[in-house]
Amino acid sequence: MLAQDSSPPPHGAGLPPPGDAGLPLLAAADLQDHLMVAQNDLERLQRLLTDACDQLLVHFYGASGELRTLLAQGAHGAVDGPAAGLPGALEAAQLHKAMEHMAGAITAMQFQDMASQLVAHTSRRLRNCADRLAAQAMGDDDEDGSAVVEEMPLRPNPVTQDEMDAGSVELF
Amino acid sequence: MHSILAVDDSASMRQMVSFTLKNAGFNVVEAVDGQDAYEKANSRDFNLVLTDQNMPRMDGISLTKKLRENPKFKSTPILILTTESSDQMKQAGRAAGATGWLVKPFDPAKLVEVIGKVIR
Repeated sequence: MLAQDSSPPPHGAGLPPPGDAGLPLLAAADLQDHLMVAQNDLERLQRLLTDACDQLLVHFYGASGELRTLLAQGAHGAVDGPAAGLPGALEAAQLHKAMEHMAGAITAMQFQDMASQLVAHTSRRLRNCADRLAAQAMGDDDEDGSAVVEEMPLRPNPVTQDEMDAGSVELF
Repeated sequence: MHSILAVDDSASMRQMVSFTLKNAGFNVVEAVDGQDAYEKANSRDFNLVLTDQNMPRMDGISLTKKLRENPKFKSTPILILTTESSDQMKQAGRAAGATGWLVKPFDPAKLVEVIGKVIR
């Protein structure tokens, strides 16, 4: 049940107490609703990214496997003499080039790992804001008397990159 | 053939690291977090450990500290491959005994080159 008491909030650090100086209940509920919708959308984005990356990787490894097979057949043909349908020296060079392009794509394909860390961090922040709003506006309505508030991430977002260029290397 | 223990909680990252290192001729064993890596490291020999930093159960820096406490891993190269790029984190990695700090995303050719420099 919604309570409008004037007792200090359990986890409302930095927020004024509910009531006269606090956010009106309806406005708080509306804001909380928006935050929860944004958080749900982020979770859906996370699933989309994971699924896209899984599919990319399946096709990537499939194509790499085919290229390797062709290269191996070419090497076999070079030993036994050129055979119909097997790549010659020129084709082998092109296949090696294709393999290099595939390897180059690996840098960009790491987007899912980085994006998922960003999404998870932002999602926790949004959840914390929504929970604090609820605790602030509605007071303690939990069974044990204290509202459950998602912890704010203790550290800044670990992902500071804003492009997919290869990162730095430092040997100690 | 050199054996590398590749540690990351992201399945896609583990696959890409394995793909890159196997293509370069290394034998690769995967671990899903620091705890899993520590158990696998104790069950066989590795020439290098390549680990992520932010993972559940045990992070990369804690794994590095724990491995360095064991004489078996005193001179095993440990590279941390992570999205984290702050100097504070790098220093923590260095203090824990890491051999190097690589910021994601990695370039496959560069990763193989760096590993070639430090592997024993």
